[in-house]
Amino acid sequence: MPVWQVAVMLNLVLAMAVGVGYAGWGRRAAALDRELDAARVQVERLERERQACAGGAHAGEQQWDGRGVVRAVYPQLLIITHEEIRGLLPARTTSFRAASRGLGASLHVGDPIRFALRGTVVDDAAVVAVERW
Amino acid sequence: MRALLFGALWIHLASCTLLLGAFVMPLLAGQPEVPTARRWDRELVAWARGIVLVALASGAVWLLARTAVFENRSGAALDPRAVAHAVLDTWPGLVWLARHALLIVLGAFVGMRATVDERRDWIAARGEALLLASLALALVSASSHAAAISPGTARTVAADVVHVLATGVWLGGLVALVALTRCAARDEGADARPYAVLAARRFSRAALVAMLLLIGSGVMNALAQVESIPALVGTPHGRLLLAKLALLVPILVLAFVNRTRVLPGLSAPRVMRRLIVFVAVEAGLALVIVALAAAMTLTTPARHAAPVWPLPFRLSLEELLDASVRSRALVGSQLAVAGVVGLLATLLVRRRRFLVLGVGLALVAVGAGTGLPPLVVDAYPTSYRRPLVTYNAASIASGAAVYRESCAGCHSARWLTSASNARRHAGELFWLVSNGITGRDMPGFDTRLPEAQRWDVINYMRAAGAAAAGPSLGPQIEPDRAWMIAPDFPVAVGPLTPGALRDYRGRRMVLLVIYTLPDSRARLTELARMYDVLWVTGVEVIAVPTHGSPEAIAELGASPPILFPVLTDGAREIVAAYGMLAPGPHAEILIDRQGYVRAIWRGDGGAVQAQVEQLNAERSPPPFPDDHVH
Repeated sequence: MPVWQVAVMLNLVLAMAVGVGYAGWGRRAAALDRELDAARVQVERLERERQACAGGAHAGEQQWDGRGVVRAVYPQLLIITHEEIRGLLPARTTSFRAASRGLGASLHVGDPIRFALRGTVVDDAAVVAVERW
Repeated sequence: MRALLFGALWIHLASCTLLLGAFVMPLLAGQPEVPTARRWDRELVAWARGIVLVALASGAVWLLARTAVFENRSGAALDPRAVAHAVLDTWPGLVWLARHALLIVLGAFVGMRATVDERRDWIAARGEALLLASLALALVSASSHAAAISPGTARTVAADVVHVLATGVWLGGLVALVALTRCAARDEGADARPYAVLAARRFSRAALVAMLLLIGSGVMNALAQVESIPALVGTPHGRLLLAKLALLVPILVLAFVNRTRVLPGLSAPRVMRRLIVFVAVEAGLALVIVALAAAMTLTTPARHAAPVWPLPFRLSLEELLDASVRSRALVGSQLAVAGVVGLLATLLVRRRRFLVLGVGLALVAVGAGTGLPPLVVDAYPTSYRRPLVTYNAASIASGAAVYRESCAGCHSARWLTSASNARRHAGELFWLVSNGITGRDMPGFDTRLPEAQRWDVINYMRAAGAAAAGPSLGPQIEPDRAWMIAPDFPVAVGPLTPGALRDYRGRRMVLLVIYTLPDSRARLTELARMYDVLWVTGVEVIAVPTHGSPEAIAELGASPPILFPVLTDGAREIVAAYGMLAPGPHAEILIDRQGYVRAIWRGDGGAVQAQVEQLNAERSPPPFPDDHVH
């Protein structure tokens, strides 16, 4: 085989190796990363649903746990400065609906608390449990 | 182990560079037709086979030594699991694998005993070898210092690739040219002289382009990896770069002599022998430059190292704030500019060249002698050292306490905020605090105070200087003029994970409210009602009680609800630091999105909304301030 054909073949093999390497390994690795992230989110969601279910929630509801400081208390509303609530909200001050009227009865402004939220999305999430931190 | 790492890297880089040149040079010269030139061409291929083996062996030694350095144990170099981990689980290892795979393919390719008499085959053989050698060399950049720079990684890696490839063309080509000229200079190699002359001329043009690319990409690399003059002269990495530049000067002189004096008469064997000597010296110096480049690869990049200023003085443009210095510097600079114009004129005009040259040099010397001395100030080894401690409220408060205890007995309040202190670099103040001033009976505190406390004192001095200029900041912002950096502090609300003031940079303005109950109650109520509007216009309100209580939120009560962050920890330090700007039971400080103090209300709060609107209307915000003082 003439040398120029060997050179052309070699370059083709190199180009194919790079291409196949990217297609077969690089793209697959990126896809696996995405699948792993999706699976992690799904596992976290299922865990929250399992927690909610154990507490007597409706189907499809999830439960999130958070830590915060009480800023205002109303009969049906708690305003809490909280840390990040994984899978729901970043750290900020948020007003949450209280699932029952007596929930905030023992709370005072400035109290550090741990709380549990239950719902399907952020808009319908309600505080179902509170304990002092 | 580091010596082994350096030696292996040097040999590896030099052999990869020579490989590239071994295939560039024949392609520049063209397919040889005469027996001597053909023999040279075959010899180059034979050398290339040996050089590939050297590159692979030195690369393997480099990998083993690097594994030992990574693992911080010499035994790791011979531990297969550690080596496999270094190759397969690290980015430099993967780059090493790709490069050595290319070198193996190149070795196999040049090891083929194929006939390349036909022009098409010869070009394919040399071109393919050049491509493989170029890829193996260029990939060095993928795991170099250039690849660690972010943002702008693609630009710096591209500049580094150009740099290493241009080195390969120039240095590798030089060695191949020496070999060709040696063959042609012999009596039995006379048939190759026309070919050697043609090759030398073509290489000269290619080397000129390669040198220009080398210098251009080298400047780009220096700007990215060195960044400043202190880093250039005060760090090992920068000094290695200076050594490279120093070696480049004789190389450029030799190249100039070769191009202008030797090349025109190259057909004579005597001139060829002179070219061999000059080019061999040039190649030898270039190999030393490759050694310096290898050493640079193994040192911390200058931009990340603490510079040690080597001179007892430095030039300070801040001296130009004095009117007398300004006028003298202006006169000196104009004389120097006139001198430089004269020097440039000598390149264009032949008549009375030496007279103009002399006058030009004299003007530059007189201009420098007039304009520079007033700009010279004392400097110390730590002049450009980056402070150990960031500019934050806790450090300022700690520095204030140390200053009161150890410094205030001798130094007046006026000295503390003097212009001379403000003009000194933080590193110079650190040197003076650490080592004292012999002539003025000031003791050194390097054994009495830990380093962090000495930096705290300097942060306090900077804050005091800013506070002295602070009265110019009032309730009205100065549009497009941000200069006072807001000291950072932790934003701690109850036991929650604390944030920091700097977390708001680029996102929100901050209205820092220092309050005292019950006097501030009415204003806090007003701010609580305004909070929605302030939030929508991009402002976060952070309230800090002057008495610093963990019960601060509860003390504010439930009605009206105060929903902005009220700090329950670290308040004393914040009040101490910001109290220098705005003392009193109640103060409000507006900090813009970049992290600069823009307005201060001393006593009662004021029309915050109007100032916020002005800040929102600013079109060219200043850059984010550094976290450390200068």
